[in-house]
Amino acid sequence: MLDLLVRYRKYSILGVVVVVAVALLTVQQTRPGEGLWIAEGIAAVTAPVQTAFARVHRGAASLWAGYLDWKHLRAEVARLRAETVALRLRQLRQEALEVENERLRNLATLRERLPERTLGAEVVARDWNGFTRGLTIDRGRTDGAERLSAVIVTSGVVGRVAVLRRQSAIVQVLTDPASSIGGVVLRTRAQGLVEGVAGGRLRIKLAVSEEALQPGDLVVTSGIGELFPKGLPLGRVLRVYSPTGLFRTAELEPAVDLTSVEEVLVLPRGTGGDLAPAFPES
Amino acid sequence: MRLPLYVLAVSGGALVQCTVVPVVGVGGIVPDVPVVLTVLLALRYGAEAGCLTGFALGLAQDAVAGGPLGLHALSKALLGFAAGDLPRWVLVTRPIVPVGLAVLATIVDGLARFALLQLFQYPAPLGEIFTRVIVPQAGYNGIVAAAALAWPAGRLLSRG
Repeated sequence: MLDLLVRYRKYSILGVVVVVAVALLTVQQTRPGEGLWIAEGIAAVTAPVQTAFARVHRGAASLWAGYLDWKHLRAEVARLRAETVALRLRQLRQEALEVENERLRNLATLRERLPERTLGAEVVARDWNGFTRGLTIDRGRTDGAERLSAVIVTSGVVGRVAVLRRQSAIVQVLTDPASSIGGVVLRTRAQGLVEGVAGGRLRIKLAVSEEALQPGDLVVTSGIGELFPKGLPLGRVLRVYSPTGLFRTAELEPAVDLTSVEEVLVLPRGTGGDLAPAFPES
Repeated sequence: MRLPLYVLAVSGGALVQCTVVPVVGVGGIVPDVPVVLTVLLALRYGAEAGCLTGFALGLAQDAVAGGPLGLHALSKALLGFAAGDLPRWVLVTRPIVPVGLAVLATIVDGLARFALLQLFQYPAPLGEIFTRVIVPQAGYNGIVAAAALAWPAGRLLSRG
């Protein structure tokens, strides 16, 4: 018998295994719900391992969830930052539009107050090197602009058209070292010559007594020479220098912030009369 | 057969099945690592080893799963025996054979367990079990078998 079992070892093992398994199943089928000691034994070995692994798995899952949360939070923060930047940009655009709107409204009001038909233009370029100071505007010969026309904004004189092209023009600004305009001190009616100074400043030279020129005095165009009509604000006296010979010199603060001019009005040549009432703020 | 490898494979397989496998389920389907191990060991070491491996792994699986003790043990013992006897009839050195056999074995094992469970008035219909559990699990096991054979240490299980 033993020989037979050894000879057919393979089938013997199979037989034993099948018998054991069937026996186990049969016992359980006849006594449902009752645990078997062998199952208890195996479970006693595997349960601690399972528990340990479950803990490790829970820890890893928690770590992963934390990482995902952090990742989502980071994405959320980036999104909110981008949104904040977009909102800020929108707000800045809105503010810029409001400023532009205000500027255009003032320019339109000035235009209405002026007796002559003026030409509105936009500044498209600036030449701000040390030797010359000029602005390029988008109106030229075809638009009706004329050479030497006065260019103004709501606060005063910008300069004059120095170079006229077909569709654009270059404006020589007041502070250009080659610019000179006849000016008058509004308070005392003392007349002088307003000149640009290298470095973007402005000065007035006149032959008057000390009382005739004080810091804060407004200087407007005199109307002499017929290039500029009378009464256009040029600037305010900042400081008065000691006289040299007959002449007294004063530094002026330009009435117009020439660095931020964006829209201008071009007056037709030969515009006459006193335009001071058109600049009530001055 | 080398006993340490056999013990390592059996205990490692049981451990993996009761710890790692539940975590790597896809759509509720988990691989049956003992089936794959039984088939690969049986092909490598013969019917006796296959039968004993299947029985040991199945018994551990039964104990852990809490189902009828002997269910997996019986089905996997038969499977291991059949797979171990196969090299007498089929050339199994090509890797596609063990992988295909793992897929087929999973289906056979599933059907055998379903048949045995009828003794315990198992309620689910065969069609549902077959399409939703057995077939997807067979596919998953095919992938596991291919991965095991591709893995350098898994070559110990390969007959080539």
